[in-house]
Amino acid sequence: MTKTGAPFLGVSLARPATAAAILGAGVVWLLLLGPVITLMGHLSWTSVLSSLRAPGALQPLLVSVEASLIAVGVIILAGTPLAWMLARDRLPLTRVWEGALLLPLLTPPLVIGLLLVFMVGPATPAGALLAHLHLTAADTFFALVVAEVYEAVPYYVLGAEAAFAAVDPSLERAASLLGDSAPRTWRRITLPLAAPGLASALAVTWARAMGAFGAVLIIAYHPFGLPLQIWTTLQETGLYSALPFALILLLVALPLPLAAYFWSARARRRL
Amino acid sequence: MLDADFEVARRDFPVAASFRLDAGERLALLGPSGAGKTTILEAIAGFLPLCSGRISLGGRVLSSARGTTVPPRHRRVGLVGQGSSLFPHLTVLQNIRYGPHVSTRTALRWAHSLGLTATLGSRPAGLSEGEQRRAALARALAAGCQLLCLDEPFSALERNLADDLLERVREEVGDLSGGAILVTHRLEEAQAFADRIGVMDHGQVIQMTSPQELLRHPRTPTVARLMGYRGWLTGPRGQLAVHPELCSLEGPAEVTLGCRVTACRPMGARFDVTLAALGEWRGRVHVSWSQPLEVGSQLAVAIPSAVVFPEAEPGLG
Repeated sequence: MTKTGAPFLGVSLARPATAAAILGAGVVWLLLLGPVITLMGHLSWTSVLSSLRAPGALQPLLVSVEASLIAVGVIILAGTPLAWMLARDRLPLTRVWEGALLLPLLTPPLVIGLLLVFMVGPATPAGALLAHLHLTAADTFFALVVAEVYEAVPYYVLGAEAAFAAVDPSLERAASLLGDSAPRTWRRITLPLAAPGLASALAVTWARAMGAFGAVLIIAYHPFGLPLQIWTTLQETGLYSALPFALILLLVALPLPLAAYFWSARARRRL
Repeated sequence: MLDADFEVARRDFPVAASFRLDAGERLALLGPSGAGKTTILEAIAGFLPLCSGRISLGGRVLSSARGTTVPPRHRRVGLVGQGSSLFPHLTVLQNIRYGPHVSTRTALRWAHSLGLTATLGSRPAGLSEGEQRRAALARALAAGCQLLCLDEPFSALERNLADDLLERVREEVGDLSGGAILVTHRLEEAQAFADRIGVMDHGQVIQMTSPQELLRHPRTPTVARLMGYRGWLTGPRGQLAVHPELCSLEGPAEVTLGCRVTACRPMGARFDVTLAALGEWRGRVHVSWSQPLEVGSQLAVAIPSAVVFPEAEPGLG
């Protein structure tokens, strides 16, 4: 039995404020983990196996993984230089750029989908331009990637901007005085030091791309991604039938973010 | 040899410098915070554009207001700042070996020379402040810099440690073809390091000469204050600045002050004596004396070389 005032797991519970803070943290932890615990409690493993063995059951998973990989790749390629320039004030009107990045974050995903139809749909000038490239941004794999990019890009760019901003510019200047070219400094100093923050940003971006639903529902109902699979199964056959697909989405979407989180925390401790 | 004659724009006031530095020569830029000392180093390192003039090192123009700008990586200028600026994800050896043309052998030689052999596998976070500064210094020297710029690198260190490092730096920079520049706001540091001291205020180098000349003949009250003058007397010829250690009770004197002792406090191995001047010079001065003096007693203080400023300028009281 723990005596009053003696530390419990390294924390003194004697102070009411400390005890209240720990209680609050415990409640938050349970609330956050609640959905996963509930999912596990309601799943029947035989129903999971039978759902997965159904013809074409894994096709939405493959579609989602492929589209998310491409979307995340596009976001990294376009978002990393942008994030670095924002972090180093290399762009005019930095706050305007950041405001534009916040728009997809603050706009409801369904609204993003609607606006994308009017922006890149087949009947728009951008749609006509895409048609020349044999692309259509409505109910296609390309449309799915576009929707995922729009939903996930702010998470990466804002996270990466914070990661780059945390790298002391005097280190980059020191590297240049030692004889490094700008690309070499970026590769040897900036990138390794920002890597933990970039990994965190990438992890969130991957999860958002995999789980993109609102904009996808409007602009890319077909091909069927995993979130839409969950939605239609829920509509057509009920709650319990959708749970196996929810589990798959969690299993595919979460490991990368979790691994990135733990690596990032370890890398930060080493610096 | 460094040849600098330039002006740099700043938000508050322009910063100008005009000086030459011979091979192996050591210059200290002394002045209060915000005087523009670091700005001069940044311009020499290539991080600031010039408004006018030019900077050349070893006959090669590095910066010019006309547009010639050699990028920092090609300047062969080393810069060691207040923070260690060591790369935190690399070991000490990797830091020293960082320059693209630095061999492991060269890095080990500098590490050995600066007493870092035992720390080669450590990351900067595991080093003491002194070791971090030495590693930063070794890195700059190993990269083959011709000119070493030191931006208050020892200001956060204990006095003894700073003195020791300063001595090491003096030994190492003698071979540099462009010499070394130390920026500091500590007079003792500047005197211990430099062949010449340039006193800066509001972006201008007010006076640049040898430490002894600067001490005995400060050109302005600001220079006098930075050189440690603590007395400020008014009289018929203007204002007389008195240095606590440049006066005595006897010996040749350009000015002799009749004074009354108003306070006497121990200060280290000596005594800080406050004197009220009597006669034509009026005011109070502080002098450093080897013996305690009785409060209320009167004496004559001999000032061998008087520093008199014709116009009243506040700041030395």
